[in-house]
Amino acid sequence: MNPKTFLIVLGKELRDALRDRRTLARLLIPAVFMGPLMLMVISNLVSSLEAQAEQREVMAVGMDDAPTLRNYLERQTYTIKAAPADYEEQLRKARLNQPVLVIGKDFEKELADGDAPKLEIVSDSANQRAQVGVRTLSKLVQGFAQERGGLALMLRGVPPGLLQPIEVNERDLASTQARASQITGMIPMFIIMAVLYGALTAALDTTAGERERGSLEPLLMNPVPHTALVFGKWGAVALLGMAVAVLANLGYVPAQDLIHNESLQAMFRFGPGEALRFLLLLLPLAAGLSALLMAVAIRSKTFKEAQAGSALVITGISLAPMVSIMNPGAEPFWYYLVPGLGQYTLMMQVLKGQALQAMPVLTTVAGGVLIMLLGLGYVARSMKSAVAR
Amino acid sequence: MIRLDQISKRFVARTAGKARAPSLFKRAAATTVQAVDQLSLDAPDGRITGLLGPNGAGKTTSLRMLAGLLPPDTGRISVDGIDAAARPREALARMGILGDAHGLYPRLSARENIVYFGRLQGMEPDAANARADELARLLDMHALLDRRTEGFSQGERMKTALARALVHDPANIVLDEPTNGLDVLATRGLREALRHLRSPEGGAKCIVFSTHIMQEVEQLCDRVTVVAGGRRVAEGTVEELLAQAGCTRFEDAFVALAYGSQNGSQNGAAA
Repeated sequence: MNPKTFLIVLGKELRDALRDRRTLARLLIPAVFMGPLMLMVISNLVSSLEAQAEQREVMAVGMDDAPTLRNYLERQTYTIKAAPADYEEQLRKARLNQPVLVIGKDFEKELADGDAPKLEIVSDSANQRAQVGVRTLSKLVQGFAQERGGLALMLRGVPPGLLQPIEVNERDLASTQARASQITGMIPMFIIMAVLYGALTAALDTTAGERERGSLEPLLMNPVPHTALVFGKWGAVALLGMAVAVLANLGYVPAQDLIHNESLQAMFRFGPGEALRFLLLLLPLAAGLSALLMAVAIRSKTFKEAQAGSALVITGISLAPMVSIMNPGAEPFWYYLVPGLGQYTLMMQVLKGQALQAMPVLTTVAGGVLIMLLGLGYVARSMKSAVAR
Repeated sequence: MIRLDQISKRFVARTAGKARAPSLFKRAAATTVQAVDQLSLDAPDGRITGLLGPNGAGKTTSLRMLAGLLPPDTGRISVDGIDAAARPREALARMGILGDAHGLYPRLSARENIVYFGRLQGMEPDAANARADELARLLDMHALLDRRTEGFSQGERMKTALARALVHDPANIVLDEPTNGLDVLATRGLREALRHLRSPEGGAKCIVFSTHIMQEVEQLCDRVTVVAGGRRVAEGTVEELLAQAGCTRFEDAFVALAYGSQNGSQNGAAA
């Protein structure tokens, strides 16, 4: 390969692509802002859920008929609010975001008689926020029942401990960062998509676009090796993919300050170090994907045809992380052999604060280089026959 | 100096004609088309050699083989004595080719389009820039030079593509229907530019010029090769061809030579 020709082609393709401001802007907005925006929205959601939990409020219907229960709740420092009359309607329409406790008219009497009065916790499982409060409320009511039961036993001289023959303790093995990665797991996905979108336009423009314009034929009439042309074009495509990935990465660094939720902020660690490791992991992906997109596009006569062809690549790569999301915890070795999925798994390890291992990293590098070489070889071979038809 | 020595090219095409009742699952039968059949052409330096033929006579296919985009099935192509098959890059460096497809990069200016190809031809940036200015003078396109080629008219695009093909000052110039879409003034300007390039002051270039327009051939070409059905059917100066066909108008002579021979041949139209 001729390095001078490579640089000439690279320079021209970069200049050409960067002049296409409108396309660049349209591509950067989703690639760079989408992820941080999602993160902010999620952090706000988590905050509001936490605030709700801290509120210690019970919304009830007919609390006046249940002074004993009221006494218990108030001892647990809960305040009691009367539910609006149309609470069912409001819950359904998600205007009310906490469950409602419905108390029967004869609650107090039935309780005294030992008739097991019925309580109703009304919620709407389609109303996510209200649904979150159901568990707390039912635990609270359970606590009341247990207290009543305990008291009744004590009156009869039975130790209340008998009702609890076993003791259950929960122990969470996830580190703070591993827990956070449930929320931050979408970041690597967005960054992989950023690489794809950054490379896509340039990959199509330098292959199918060049054919459609009729500029590929004159280009091939220059006395330069075709591999140098292909490498130059590929270099520009891969650089653009990486440039968008860099911007997308940088977007998350300030996003950290935009997270309003303290506990999330503490869990979410994404500094320059993480960003740099992300980018290094993405290099082989950008190299391989650029070549793959070019190889798919070179056979197409028009930009439109190439777009249809590349849709398959885009969907495949951007959905690959779903495999890992669907099987949380598992990380079989073949993940590293799948472009997109391998990088996703490694980036998740970075987010969880785990040390990267050489073997998986080298596997993804080898995969990227292999795809790159196959793709570029195919493009170089196809270019001539593409114009001859 | 460009020499085509008995080159041939055959294409395999899959036709989907109604007569064959094409179906989704059955591929149509392959038919071979002899696009170029034992064609020879000799274009000396300092001369404009016309390649004249009806649509589909094989002109573009021949020029594509000359440009190294298609390998000829048989025959030899040499450019200034260099065998194009054995040393394709050296042959390409000695030619400036304005082919059938001559798309520009719309986001680059005319100058950048020209300089890019100059650089690929091995020129230094300064030299390529100077050459762009020189060609802009020759082709009367100074006003265009630093505008983006997006939105150029057909004639402006053609001029830019021509300047791009000539940037490395090649000794051999190959033009495939360069006046397509040009208006009267632009055509006249191009004709003058070609005459200049043919003259000793212009470098006594070897110019091969393919067209299907009679007037251009009459006004410009020193020698003409008439192609029909992929084969050379006549060769000579305009006067010689008139005498050969026994006509007084060149158009009549062309029809007699090109179509007269085609009726007798089994090879239909091609590429």
